[in-house]
Formats: sequence, structure tokens, C-alpha cells
Amino acid sequence: MAPGQERVGRGRRNRPKEPHRLFWAALAAPGIIWLALLFVVPFYAILAIAGGQVDLFGVPVAAWNPLHWSSANYSAAWHDVTGASSFVGPIILRTLVYVALASLISLLIAYPAAYFVARFAGRRKALFLILLIAPFWISYMMRMLAWIDLLQTNGYVNKALSLLHLIGQPVNWLGGLGFTVVLGLVYGYIPYLILVLYAGLDRIDPAMIEAGRDLGLGRVRTFVHVTLPLSRQAILTGMLITVLPMLGDYFTNQLLSGTSGTTMFGNVINDQLSSSGGVLQGEGAVFSMLFLLVLIAPMIYYVLATSRSSRGAT
Amino acid sequence: MTTATAKTPAGAGQAQARTSLGRLRPRRNPWRHPWFLEGFTWLYLVWSLVPVALAVLFSFNNGRSQSVWQGFSWRWYFADPVNSVLHDPNLHAAVVQTIRLSVYVTLITVPLGVAFALGINRWRGKTASSANFLMILSFVIPELIFGVAMFFVFTKLFKPIGLGTLAEVLALVTWNVSWPALIVQARLVTIGREYEEAAADLGAAPWQVAYRVLWPLLRPAIFASAVLVFSGVIDDFVLVDLLSSNSGNTPMSVYIYSQQRGGNGGPALNALGTIMLVMTFIIAIIGYIGYRFMTRGERGGRLEALTTIAGGEG
Amino acid sequence: MHPREGWTEDRRAGGLSRRGFLTQGAAAGLLAAGGGSLLAGCSSGATTTSGTHAAGGIPLPRPNHPVTWPVSKDNPAIKSGLAPEQNATLRLFNWVAYINPDCLKAFGKKYNCKVEVTTFQNMDAALAKLRSGQLNFDVFFPTVDVMAQLVYGKLIQPLNHSYIPNISQAWPDFTNPFYDGKWHYTVPYTIYTTGIAWRKDHVPENPYTMANPWAMPWQAKYKNRVAILDDARESISLGLMKNGNFNLNTTNPNQINAAGKSLQDLAHLTNVHIDNNDYTLIPSGQIWIHHAWSGDIAAAQYYMPKGVNVDVIGYWFPPDGRGPVANDTIAVLNGAPNPVLAHLFLNYMLDFNNAMTNISFNGYMQPINGVTPQRLVKEQILPPSLMSTAVLPSYFRRGVMQLQIPVATNALWQQAWLQAKSA
Repeated sequence: MAPGQERVGRGRRNRPKEPHRLFWAALAAPGIIWLALLFVVPFYAILAIAGGQVDLFGVPVAAWNPLHWSSANYSAAWHDVTGASSFVGPIILRTLVYVALASLISLLIAYPAAYFVARFAGRRKALFLILLIAPFWISYMMRMLAWIDLLQTNGYVNKALSLLHLIGQPVNWLGGLGFTVVLGLVYGYIPYLILVLYAGLDRIDPAMIEAGRDLGLGRVRTFVHVTLPLSRQAILTGMLITVLPMLGDYFTNQLLSGTSGTTMFGNVINDQLSSSGGVLQGEGAVFSMLFLLVLIAPMIYYVLATSRSSRGAT
Repeated sequence: MTTATAKTPAGAGQAQARTSLGRLRPRRNPWRHPWFLEGFTWLYLVWSLVPVALAVLFSFNNGRSQSVWQGFSWRWYFADPVNSVLHDPNLHAAVVQTIRLSVYVTLITVPLGVAFALGINRWRGKTASSANFLMILSFVIPELIFGVAMFFVFTKLFKPIGLGTLAEVLALVTWNVSWPALIVQARLVTIGREYEEAAADLGAAPWQVAYRVLWPLLRPAIFASAVLVFSGVIDDFVLVDLLSSNSGNTPMSVYIYSQQRGGNGGPALNALGTIMLVMTFIIAIIGYIGYRFMTRGERGGRLEALTTIAGGEG
Repeated sequence: MHPREGWTEDRRAGGLSRRGFLTQGAAAGLLAAGGGSLLAGCSSGATTTSGTHAAGGIPLPRPNHPVTWPVSKDNPAIKSGLAPEQNATLRLFNWVAYINPDCLKAFGKKYNCKVEVTTFQNMDAALAKLRSGQLNFDVFFPTVDVMAQLVYGKLIQPLNHSYIPNISQAWPDFTNPFYDGKWHYTVPYTIYTTGIAWRKDHVPENPYTMANPWAMPWQAKYKNRVAILDDARESISLGLMKNGNFNLNTTNPNQINAAGKSLQDLAHLTNVHIDNNDYTLIPSGQIWIHHAWSGDIAAAQYYMPKGVNVDVIGYWFPPDGRGPVANDTIAVLNGAPNPVLAHLFLNYMLDFNNAMTNISFNGYMQPINGVTPQRLVKEQILPPSLMSTAVLPSYFRRGVMQLQIPVATNALWQQAWLQAKSA
């Protein structure tokens, strides 16, 4: 608690008001109005599409009036998930597995790299930063297309691997391997993670680490007891911006696999939304709502964790 | 007492942690340069940037292939009278539109998002938390459903706006405002309140606090989020594809995406990508020089400036 | 008598098979469901012969049920004898990479105008944008299964034939096609078939000698080397044909679901790829058996890696012509800023020489007199080993087409496809 704050019973309600609240509210106002107009309204449009139907030509018609909402799309979606011909269950499971693997691998790669650049790069920090940021300047799609070229059965990756005697036969990387999809997810999202981790790790006061050493902790224990807790917020934000979009990702699978054995949940939504004639768009809207519903828990956790730590920040 | 290590590396300026008398086994310098980490980081950078290098390399290829070197030529830049970047008016329009969108969107999104983050973080209260939650929702929502909803909104509800550049900008800003909002919030959490409170104690009005204390401390986060927004717009193809109305407002990303789905933009797109890379590089350098010029009274050594931009302590 | 009078999609020697009876029955059921407005021409002005209709009276053109669309007074054709617009920019709205830029440049030079192409990647998105009324394109390249939406949505304008004398160069069928009687609204653009492409050097089987060539992809020994098209209609149709159903517009849920199930089996058997990159995957050898479009394979020679000759690629289409055939069309949009130039452009693309130039870029054939497989080989546009990708008039007349189906049926198809994709 900041000095001057009184602890009176249930502290939150009797907390003295933040001074100059109006100023901060005014700062936030443009953003809030923007979101209200251009996010809440389209969000309502999604609900309208979900509750709407198709016209004569199969074109989805949004039902703007809640009283006219139909449950046809909802029941169709329900049948997809449960019901006799349900197929969505295994896909959800697969998506969770892929994303868990991909975020773990991303963290394991990004943290050391960000840590190195933040603390040990010294004079070459600018160089490393430029190199870290470079992927942002050339489009994601072009990087992936270049990788697809490398991963062909007779491409350079297989050539290099067989030269190093790591594989016996050329591997069909693009033949529908979950491994390729997971690595593709890592590749696509890791630059964001590194940047966020870097920004957080850079903030850590070297004096803290020295203090840990002075107290007799070895390198590893200093890391575990000092650095890791201090980077908690950075890891949290980093995971937020990585895991949540990964769950809705569809083009990684589309680009790197294209088989039905590796479909992710995002692919289902995408296929419904771009179904010919738009007939399944309503269902796509329902699935999107479901998707958001599932993510609400982690989002609330993030919001609470952030506001808790900012109130208790040193 | 000294330790008995015979191999203390020359750079170790810090004192060794003291060991107890009996334990004289050799210890490695805990402040030594972490070669393993550095190697790891370089490995990551190579993995990340190999496709970029290849794309740049093959943009100078004298043929259509993306994997077989057929000789050096400027063909795709200006020599080919039909397909080169210089001669294909569609590609011109695409580059111009990409830059236009990136600049407009970044210029709107970053101030909007930063103000939002500041306001929400300081304002507190139910409204603020709900707005925060809304902002995160805008981050996790799958892009395709958001695009479809925006399409509905701009063609049925906000009809005067219609399709085209304005719609693209509005949608992209809404889509990207979460970057600065999240990153600045995370940074605010780690900064803590004591600087502001010190300034307030010294009699600064809130706007002065914001300008003189928060702004320098937040510069790195703002810069990082500007980079992310800028590159996010360059890459985006879902929203702009849905909201474009003619080839004059179709940016590069859509061409690149359609190349994967059946077009044959070919090496000219690599040339385009290389041009974008070089241009953003030049802009970054100009930005850096400009920043140094503007803050020339405020800093110590050159390294200080670099780390400030990159994310170090203010 | 109309050349296609009395034809049914499922022509079996020896009269109606049980399946044929079922599809006829389904069609009859459709008629019954069409509501009371059938014989009155659906109160929409379209004339059909014993029309096939969707619920709500939308006529569904079929080769044996041709439709002539109405021309309404508030959407008239332009007057004859007008001069082409000056200093204009003709705007085309077309699929990606579907027209030769050289043709566009030459047209621009001839009529002293600029030509701009905006592309779309799927027909529904294109239609949605056209419907929004926010665009100002002149020329559009629709497929034939969206004619109803275009006409009733007043998105295209009727043509003034006096500007398009080159129609005489097109196959005679197109002066009165079943999907657009008396060519009120469209001229033909490309024509193509869907067949199976395979690598002769990896796959010893010859589909021409197989009992059921459509089942060629269903072989476990080619695991990871098989691909089907990422298109609901095409791939479910593949399932249908493999199961012996040749009504590619069927409304029978059992057939549709069985086709979907076959595709799921294919996925389990071969880990099938689902993509539209047949034009690169077959030449590169990444895929050995690909459900493919004729135009994509025709252009394969440009994607062959070094040292591999194009005649390792084969393309199979049923020799009796009874496989999926389709053609694209060109139309002039309602409210086009440059309607005269638009008409002249349609005329331009029907000319033999321009068509040949376009085909050399596109790979997709055009139904113009004189464009024969032999001619294409002679001009080196087509390698001799891929002559089967060329479309003969007889294919067009005997082929089975994927046409507009009622909304509820489309939902069935899409749902089956969604499940097949996610198996």
C-alpha cells in the first residue's frame, strides 16, 4: 500500500479517492468512446449475425432486433459439438495441446534470448535490438512462404539435415505433421513475446541481482529467487499476447499442413465464416462467441493480476 | 581472503562472492560472459531471419524461382517492362496504400492507446476495469469474425463510411489499439507510483506530471508499441481484404496473401518486400537520429540513449 | 427443339437406374416444394421450361431446364451506336491472376483508355461487396451459379448485342446458353473441367484403365501424397462421383452425407491434403495424385523444376465427357461508369487472337471457334501430353455441371464439407 493510504476495515471501499480523477478519466475517454463505437457495435453485430438467418439467396441477414433472434444457429452449433455427428471435440483438444506446446517452446526460446539482450549485450544492444525487430518489417506471410519453400521434400532443410546425418531420409515436413504446425505457431508469435519480455527484463534493476549474489545465492538460485519473480508481469503479458491469439489461429495450419488431421479450432470458425454462399456464417458467429466465452476466464485473471500488482508495485 | 581460482577471466571486475574458508575448490567467475546464452540468441536470430535474407536475395534473382539461383538482375525492381515493381501500377498502388495505412493507423493508435492505458490505470473504478476488459476482448477476438462484423457495420449501419481507406483505417485502429494499451499498462505496473507522487509533492499539476515524469519513463514502451502497430498493419490482410473497395486501396499484404492462394505475384513481391524493409530501416534510422537530436540535453553517454529507446531505465 | 431438351444429368444406357429414379424423384420433390408459382413463371418474369425452382420461386438453371432471365424496365441496356468513353479508366473485378495483363494493355491502347483490375478470392465476398453498392467497377467475371443473385439483385445490366459482334466466334451454344437464355446478360469467358492429375513417374496406375477412376485417390499406399481441392462443391462432388452419383446438384441428404463420409475415409486413409495449389504441388512432386482443374494443370510446364519434363504429368478426364465441366462468364455491372467500353471489352475477349493470348497466360481454355487442342499444341501453349486438359464442345454438352442449388441444400453440402475438412 502506498504511504498515506489508510487501512479502514474493508480497505477497498473506504480508500481515499485518487486525486485528479477527472484528468485521468479525460485521458481515457477518447479510447473508451472509440471502443464503444467501433468495437461494441460490431460485437453486437456478431450477436445479430448469430441470431439471424439466411435470405432467399443464402446470404446471411443480421437480425438487429433482439426480439427477432432465432436459435437455429445455436442449435446447429450445439449439434456440432455434441450430438451424433459431432466433430468439434477432438479439434478443441488438439488446439489446446498445440497451443500449450507452442507457448511453452516459445517461452523457453524467448526468455533466454530476451534475457541475454537485456542484460549482457552491452555495447551491441542496439545491433541485437535491430535484429530482433527486423522480422516485424518484412511481412509474416513472406517469411512463411520462404519457409514453405525451404521445407519442401527436396528443399534446403532436408538437404542440410541429411548433410549433418541427422535424418536418414528426407522428411515430408509439409505433409500434415503436427510438429510442423507447432513450430509454425512458435515462429509466428515469438517475435512479439521476445519484445515484451525484453521490455520487462530490461527494467530489472541490476542492483537486485547483485544483492542476491551478495547474499550468497549462486547463479541459478539468483535467477529463480530474484529475476524470475521480478519478471512475472512481463511473462504474464507475454503469455497473454501469445496464447490467446494462438488459440484462434488458422492460417498456420492452412499454410503448413492443409490436412484435416491438424485442424485447429480457428480453422473451423474460418471455414464456417467463409463457407460458400455464407450459409454457415451464423454458426461461425456462434462459435466465435463460444470461443470468446472460454477466454473470459484467463482475461479476467490477467486484468486482476495486473491491477493487483500495480497497486502493490514498489 | 581470496579464492583459489586460477582461471579468473580478465573481464571480471566484480569481487568474487566470498566462500567459506574450507572450500577452496575452484569456482568459475559468476560474472563471466554467458557464451552459451549468446550462442543461443544468435541461433534464434538466424532461425528468425533466414527467410528474410532469402527473400531479399531472391528478389534479385534473374528468374521466377524462389529456390534456384538463376543469376543476378534488377529485373523485378525496374528492368522487366511488365512485371517489375516500377512498371506494375497495381504494385505501386499497393505499396502506397500499405504505407498510407501504416502511417495513419500508427499515428492514431499510439496516442489513443497510450492515453487509454494511462487513464485506465490511474482512474480506477468499475468503469475503468470494464473498459480495460473491453480492450483485452478486442485483442483476443478472432480477426475474421471482427472483420465480418465490421463489414456488416460499415455497409448496413454506418453507411456513409462505406468501404475503402477510411473503413480500413477505422477497423485497423480498433484492432491494434490493444498493443499500446497493454504494453504501456504493463510498463506502468513496473514503474510504480513513487516518481509521480514525488512530483506531485513538489507541486506539479497532473498534466505536468504526465509530461515530465511519465512521458520519459514510458518512451521505450511507446516506441515498442509503435513498432508493433506499424508492423501489424503491414501484415494485416484479413481486415483490409474485407473492407477494400478497389485496387487503389488494396495494400501489399493482400497481394502476398493471394499469392499463396493461387496468384502469381512472384519475385516482384520479394522485391517489394525488400523495398519495404529498406524503407522501414531508413525510417527507423531517421527516427533514431531525430530522437537523439531532440533529447540531446537530457542524457549521458551514447549507450544511455540507445538503451532508453530500446527499453532501459529512463 | 432445344439441343438439350430432355437431357438428364444421369444418362445411363438402358434407361433409368434406381439411382436415376431417385434423383428424378428428388427433383420432383423440389418442384413440389417450389410453391404455387411455378408455371406462372415464378412471378419474377423468368421463363423456364417446366422450371426447376428453389423455394421462393428462384429459377435454378439446368441444362435440361434452361432459364431466360427477365430484362426489367428500370435496368435497361444501353443504347446502340454510342461512342466509347474518352479518357476513361475501365475497371475490372476479377479473380486473382485470371486475365493476361498484355490483353489489358493492348485493349487500353486500342481504345485509348486505362484498364484497372481489382481482384477477389471468393465469389461470396465479391457478391457481398457488389451488393453494398459502394463499388464502381465496370466489368465482372461471375460463375454461372450466381446468375439468379446477380439478376434479381440488379447487380448486372443486360447487354446490347450490337456492340458484341464477336459472339459469332464463340461456340454456338453460347448464343443461347441454358443459364442465360438468348445471352441477355453474359458472354462466356473460360471453360474448364475438373479431373485427376497424377505423376506418372511415381504412380504406375493408369486411370484410363481403372474400373472407377474417381476412386484413384483412395489408396492407402499413397499416404501423404494425395490432395483434393479446397472447394465444397468440387470435393463433395468427387465423393458423389466415386460413389456413382452423377447428379452434382443433388438434394438427397443420404448421397451428400455418404459423399462426406467418403471424404473422411480418404482423410483417414491417406492423410489427404486440402488445397488449391495443384498447379505447383504436382509439378514439384510434393503431391502425386491431385484432384485438379484443367487450366491449372495445363499451365504446369511453367512450374516444373529443373530437369523434370512436363510429360511426367497426366490429367485424366472421363473420355466420354461425363465429368464436371464449368464455364465462367463476363458481365457488365449495373451502374458501370463506362458501359460502352465495357461492352467493347467483352467483344474484345471473344476475338480468337486475344483469346489465344489470354490462354497462354492463364492456362484456362476459352470456348472460341478455332481454339482446339491441336491448335494449342501447335502454338506451344499446351504440351502434347496434356491435351486432355483441353475442353471439347462435346464435353461441354455431355458434362455434368455444378450449378446453383437451393439454400437449404447448400447448407447440407457445406456442413458435410465442414465435417470432412475437420475429420
